[in-house]
Amino acid sequence: MIDLKKTAATVAVALALLSGAARADQAPSGGIQVVALPSESPLVAIRLMFDVGSIHDPKGKEGLAALTASMVGESGTKQRSYTELLEALYPMAAAIQTGGDREVTLFSGMVHRDKLAEYTALLEEVLLQPAFSEQDFQRNKDQLQSFLANTLPSNDELLGLEALQTQLWKGHPYGHPTAGTVEGLKSITIDDVRKFYQDHYTQANLMLGVAGGYPKGYVEKLQQDLSALPKGQAGRTELPAAPAVKGRNFVLVEKETASVGLHFGFPLPVTRADADYFPLMVAGSFLGEHRTFHGRLMQQLRGVRGLNYGDYAYIEYYAVPPFTSNPTPNVPRRQQYFSVWIRPVVPTDAQFALRAGMYEVQRLRDRGLTQAEFELTRDFLLNYTKLWVQSLPDRLGFQMDSELYGTPYFIDEVDKRLRTMKVDEVNAAVKKYLSLDNFDAVLVTDNAAQVKDMLQKDAPSPKTYNSPVAADVTEADKIIQALPVKPTSIEIVPVAKLYEK
Amino acid sequence: MSVRKIFAPGLLALAVLAALAAITAAAPAARAQSPGDIFPYKVHETTLDNGMQVVVIPYDSPGTVAYYTVVRTGSRDEVEAGHSGFAHFFEHMMFRGTEKYSQDAYNDVLKRMGADSNAFTADDQTVYHIVGPASELATMMDMESDRFKNLKYTEDAFRTEALAVLGEYNKSASNPFLPMFEKLRDLAYQKHTYKHSTLGFLEDIKAMPGYYQYSLDFFNRFYRPENITLLVVGDAQPDKVVAMAKQYYGDWKKGYQASKIVAEPPQTEAKKGHLDWPSPTRPYLMAGYHMPAFSTDTPDAAALSLIGQLLFSESAPLYQELVVDKQWVDFVGGDADFHRDAYLFSFFSRVKSEDLVPKVKETIDRYIAELAAKPVDPKRLERIKSHLRYDFALGLDTPGAVANQAATAIAVAGDVGALNRLYQQYDKVTPADIQRVAREVFKPQNETYVTLSYKGPAAPGSQGGADHD
Repeated sequence: MIDLKKTAATVAVALALLSGAARADQAPSGGIQVVALPSESPLVAIRLMFDVGSIHDPKGKEGLAALTASMVGESGTKQRSYTELLEALYPMAAAIQTGGDREVTLFSGMVHRDKLAEYTALLEEVLLQPAFSEQDFQRNKDQLQSFLANTLPSNDELLGLEALQTQLWKGHPYGHPTAGTVEGLKSITIDDVRKFYQDHYTQANLMLGVAGGYPKGYVEKLQQDLSALPKGQAGRTELPAAPAVKGRNFVLVEKETASVGLHFGFPLPVTRADADYFPLMVAGSFLGEHRTFHGRLMQQLRGVRGLNYGDYAYIEYYAVPPFTSNPTPNVPRRQQYFSVWIRPVVPTDAQFALRAGMYEVQRLRDRGLTQAEFELTRDFLLNYTKLWVQSLPDRLGFQMDSELYGTPYFIDEVDKRLRTMKVDEVNAAVKKYLSLDNFDAVLVTDNAAQVKDMLQKDAPSPKTYNSPVAADVTEADKIIQALPVKPTSIEIVPVAKLYEK
Repeated sequence: MSVRKIFAPGLLALAVLAALAAITAAAPAARAQSPGDIFPYKVHETTLDNGMQVVVIPYDSPGTVAYYTVVRTGSRDEVEAGHSGFAHFFEHMMFRGTEKYSQDAYNDVLKRMGADSNAFTADDQTVYHIVGPASELATMMDMESDRFKNLKYTEDAFRTEALAVLGEYNKSASNPFLPMFEKLRDLAYQKHTYKHSTLGFLEDIKAMPGYYQYSLDFFNRFYRPENITLLVVGDAQPDKVVAMAKQYYGDWKKGYQASKIVAEPPQTEAKKGHLDWPSPTRPYLMAGYHMPAFSTDTPDAAALSLIGQLLFSESAPLYQELVVDKQWVDFVGGDADFHRDAYLFSFFSRVKSEDLVPKVKETIDRYIAELAAKPVDPKRLERIKSHLRYDFALGLDTPGAVANQAATAIAVAGDVGALNRLYQQYDKVTPADIQRVAREVFKPQNETYVTLSYKGPAAPGSQGGADHD
């Protein structure tokens, strides 16, 4: 008899016990790396992160990593069809979540410990004995193609967020969506998938994370079972340097839409493994922490001027599932970027909104943070980051990312670094990294030719309001409306062509 | 600011639909625990002299507390013509400050405590939520009670915020889900306010800047203690929370004026609608069937939720046929979305090509007809009940998650105990109940059916390069 009441009641206790209990080790042979966070929880979270992502897609077969992940995590095995797999998982309300990014592929799930053995058997079967059936292949391929051809084009915001990345890394392994391209997917065969699986789903590429109330010996047994995967070669694939952005380059993604979404950014040679990450984290948060109301961008663009729904800044890739306010773990990248996200504005405000976003970044660079602004943002992050790891899977995910970045546990590191940080360090990092001399920008817009013309003319774009605004806003607007954008290049891409190939 | 009510974009729409259903299905919440209760926490409920409810649920999240204010007013209350979307707009205005805490001061205090704070509006409720340090509970009480009692904003601020709401509409309008959802409700309802979505009709949103005086009245009518529940989940002691609530909210004057909401008369004929889409896309279909208001007095709500699983869970034969075997759709999902008044059982799918749309609809109809025609296998029913129980338990992993469940139960059913009562009903549902409820809800004249497709210059055909057979 399962005791579900006890289950939920003790989850939080279990989480509390977790801190400091992390164990990370690598088999001496260079095999599967293990991150274990034991606790008294009645739940168990499992995350398998493979060191393989869309950077490994062969040229002309973009989407192979994503399709292979689906062919493993969302398909049948040699023992049972996909239908039978879903049926087996269903009564325990468990799933094998399959996801990926540029550099990693993730299989994850959470299950009540009553069902742990049953779930683990299915998970192992899925990972070790994929069937690679034709029927699953057609379904998964179609779903990825449809994501590119239907989902992204009908979501201006996701589209813009992706397009900025593919523009920044054009011609680089990061330069196509993780889902691939429509043409790339079309040219993939089942044999390609089979080979990709053989080559990349190896012990050396796997980090196994387990957290919660698993029994003694569980992790060792799972590690041993997964050793049926080929050994593989240790070491990560080398990445070419991020392409240098020269000048201010605009891509106008053209589609029929009522508003204009804006994104701009540039590569940042800083990741969580660098000391400069932490002062930049404070600067980014000051400018616009994701989905909060106290960032400068949010206050100035939305709060004071009513331009749109939200405005944020980022110093690294941020996976944006709907409605989340906290970052999702297990999207680690060795190359990052700074970006500003201005959510859709009415077309007549597009040029002003772009300038207002640029103005705020420039203002931050010119004057830095005051001592008071620094302290407020630092205090915010000291508490806020702890909310990112309230759940078992999130706690585990952040621990695994830290292992991959080769750093102490990220949340502890934020605490340690911020407590001794000085405002000057933040301002120095801003001066060093956040320059608008060179950036790429993406506008998702209708009437792209007109928008192009407007950007080229670079004429003043006065903002009119439906009610009086404060004198300091009027003063700032005089500067903003005339801020030179000076585009270096402007390219128009019809939405249907964007991820065609 | 608001989120949950507007279903998010693309493939995500489905996920959100599912999430919504999950919240509502699980949503409806207790008192002292008794054997068989699904909700594993002790719920402390108090009513202050002014009618405000205070609910405290201690949860072991050392140092962290979720502070939720549930207003039982949502877009359902928008009875006056031309004011659709106002409850949501008003939610935005609640962040515009008071004499004691200006908007900036309010933001600064929340920022210093490192809180995660926001709000959302739905059909039946508006929920303001903060997750932050338990040590700051008194500050939260002070700020939140202050804005609920003493909100003060200028007409200028009001007009500016109206533009942010328009921006929120615009960001959602690029996705076919929003116009389809609007169409479905517009067709399915003649009298009841569920006719419009929580965001409201676009023309009403555009007219919002002119309604400053109306907004003041709105505050006076609905933001009153009798209409509000303060919900605190986490590292908190019930007695202390109640004492604090008396201190901070005790002097808040009564005065709630309930909206006069007109019941929807029974639908007498099937309804159909179609939308042309300006950009290339695969076609979509959506349908809704009137179902009863949420109640735990009968097994009907539980039966409808089980029907949602029987039809649309990933392990359901319908899902298997359409997504896995025939691959006619790239997603399909649906559920009973529980509401305070009679609402809709609805489903949503994206179809591979135009010619398959009627076939997909026929397939779904066939499975629905089967539910009414013959009893389901009791073993299958047991598997679904197991799924729902595990799913519920797995979802209660943070104080915010527990508060979300409790808040929805309060909004829809009036109390957290509804969660336990719903799960007790699940246990009682028989194959005969499923048949009976399916017959009542899925009557032909009870259906509203909406499709959307691209009518562009090129032949629509199959989008995305893959063929179907």
